[in-house]
Amino acid sequence: MSWVGGGGKGEGKRGKGEGNPGAVALALNVGAFLTFALLVPGFATGPNLETVVISALPLFLLAVGQTFVLISAGIDLSSTAVVGLVSVVGGVVMSAEEGTQGGTLGTLTGLAAMLATGVAAGAVNGACVGWLRMPAFMVTLTLGMFAGGLAVWLARTVAATETLYGLPSQFLQIGGDAGIALALTAALGIAAHGLLSGTLFGRALQSVGYNARVALVSGLRVQRVILATYVLGGLFAAFAAVLLTGRLETASPTHGRQLLLDVIGATVIGGTSLSGGRGRIGWTALGVLFLALVGNGLTLMNLSDFAITIVKGLVILAAALLDAWRVRRRGRS
Amino acid sequence: MKSCSIGRRTAGVTLAALMATALAACGGSAPARDEGALTIGVAFETLQTEFWVAAWNKLRADTAERKITMLEAVADGDPNRQLEQVRTFINRRVDGIILVPKDGKTVIPMIRAANAAGIPVVLFNRPADRTDAPHTAIVPDNVAITKATVEYLIEQARASGSPAKAAILLGDLSDVNAIGRRDGFEAAVKEAGDAVQVVSRIPTEWNQERALAGLQSAFQAHPDISLVLTSSDFMLPSIKSVLSSLGKWQRVGDEGHVILGGFDGDPTAYSMMLDGYLDATGVQDVFWEAEQAIEVIVGAKSGKSPPARIEDPGFAITQANMASMADRMWGAVMARRGP
Repeated sequence: MSWVGGGGKGEGKRGKGEGNPGAVALALNVGAFLTFALLVPGFATGPNLETVVISALPLFLLAVGQTFVLISAGIDLSSTAVVGLVSVVGGVVMSAEEGTQGGTLGTLTGLAAMLATGVAAGAVNGACVGWLRMPAFMVTLTLGMFAGGLAVWLARTVAATETLYGLPSQFLQIGGDAGIALALTAALGIAAHGLLSGTLFGRALQSVGYNARVALVSGLRVQRVILATYVLGGLFAAFAAVLLTGRLETASPTHGRQLLLDVIGATVIGGTSLSGGRGRIGWTALGVLFLALVGNGLTLMNLSDFAITIVKGLVILAAALLDAWRVRRRGRS
Repeated sequence: MKSCSIGRRTAGVTLAALMATALAACGGSAPARDEGALTIGVAFETLQTEFWVAAWNKLRADTAERKITMLEAVADGDPNRQLEQVRTFINRRVDGIILVPKDGKTVIPMIRAANAAGIPVVLFNRPADRTDAPHTAIVPDNVAITKATVEYLIEQARASGSPAKAAILLGDLSDVNAIGRRDGFEAAVKEAGDAVQVVSRIPTEWNQERALAGLQSAFQAHPDISLVLTSSDFMLPSIKSVLSSLGKWQRVGDEGHVILGGFDGDPTAYSMMLDGYLDATGVQDVFWEAEQAIEVIVGAKSGKSPPARIEDPGFAITQANMASMADRMWGAVMARRGP
């Protein structure tokens, strides 16, 4: 009953009274950049900004997946746990210590296994939310617990340790080489933007998120759209795992574990609505960039970890409040 | 159509802003710094245990006293974030980096990045896995510290006149610290000969509930256990719970006292020693380790070659030496300072 009962906010016309969330996110970025550039020595340097951008690439990929899911009026709380599971699966296949294959063949096999794991996790989420009509937060939270536990079990069973090392150099380059990581992420981001903005699927997704009941009555195959949405979420989580595993040269069930709030926060700061129906990949990129700039700037200011967490939490809360205000205005108009 | 035009406008402004950002980035320069002053980047994986907080505070105090700038970063358990922090330190051209990594493997790319920039790296209390990337690891001598602690416990058992029946709460034996502490215990027991008989080796995997259940089972099988060693002080509350339920939570010297030892020297252990329930605990000299970490970087700056490994000899704090040694026990310092 979940997504069928989740409509009701579509009485007003789409877009009216919502302002321009992308412009808000852009203004936040410009404000943060100028503030830190003026206040913090070493912030506005090429190497530092390169570090900020490259470090934020896995977060961006996770946030792209979350953008699809949030637009469908769902939520994916499993994505960061799926990153850990995907990472371990890759490690088991490719690690010279434990895996059976290295080199190019091992890398290709490992990549295929990693992406397949992400897709499978997304498909389970999508099937439960779409066909069984279970609440998204419950399904994805449970799958996240399962994926997290399975990742640790798999690592300990196969390798008798929680981390796997000795991955093929070809694989490590994907996440470890800044140019390759940036090019891959940009290509995936552009593809996601095209899918969302320039295809029938993108329109169908926004319609489902805006009002699933109306979309169903209009003849849209809502379950299939929801399934595809969560599969995309899983796929992008898998790509994030590829980058993280390569960057850290280690497969581990703990990769990505700390990122969930940042993923949802960056997506919401970018203007994607928690109530569904609205969101853009470009906005999400701005949300990710803003969180990365704030995190880096505050670290350079030598603020304590607790202070940085408080600031980030307040920013995300403010973005959620702004989203709620937009949804109310949209309802009124 | 309207939403399309908004999208294009947003995209255009975004592109312009990113270009401006890139231009500013290229035009920016690294911060100027007094070449005579030292800057050390300190990146901890977490500050969620008292041990790390004690180390952090000591590093802060010592760098301030020596007029060294300390750049701080805590990764909150996220190695990707820690790698970003290390790269940020490198970009700021620090003179050295002190790291508490999340694990021994994910730290290797961080060491390599610092190596490439010619910046010395000190791994504080948590060593890296096998790597050819040069760095300094400061680690406690778990074997020696535990052995000294257990020797004191056996001495107390000997004084009672009858052979001791001992149990040890083991840590996670995939952890080098747990292995070292077990080996220190076994070495002391072996040297003691007939004075002590080990009747139970309890695996806990660093889990308090397992410790509690395991010790309960051990006392059911061997009610005459008279000596217990825990591989970490954080399991002391579990031991107290079991001994209390058996009526054996007694002060040193009282009838029915079970000789009790630990490892770490945390505030709970200090409090139990003050109250007279704990006989001894092995202490990692975190203050000494912090001094050594800073010294390695200061030495590297003046041209000394950093050592690959520094072992903290630590010490056993006992009921006999507590008055003179408590100032070096980090748990005592934390407990006196209060929350």
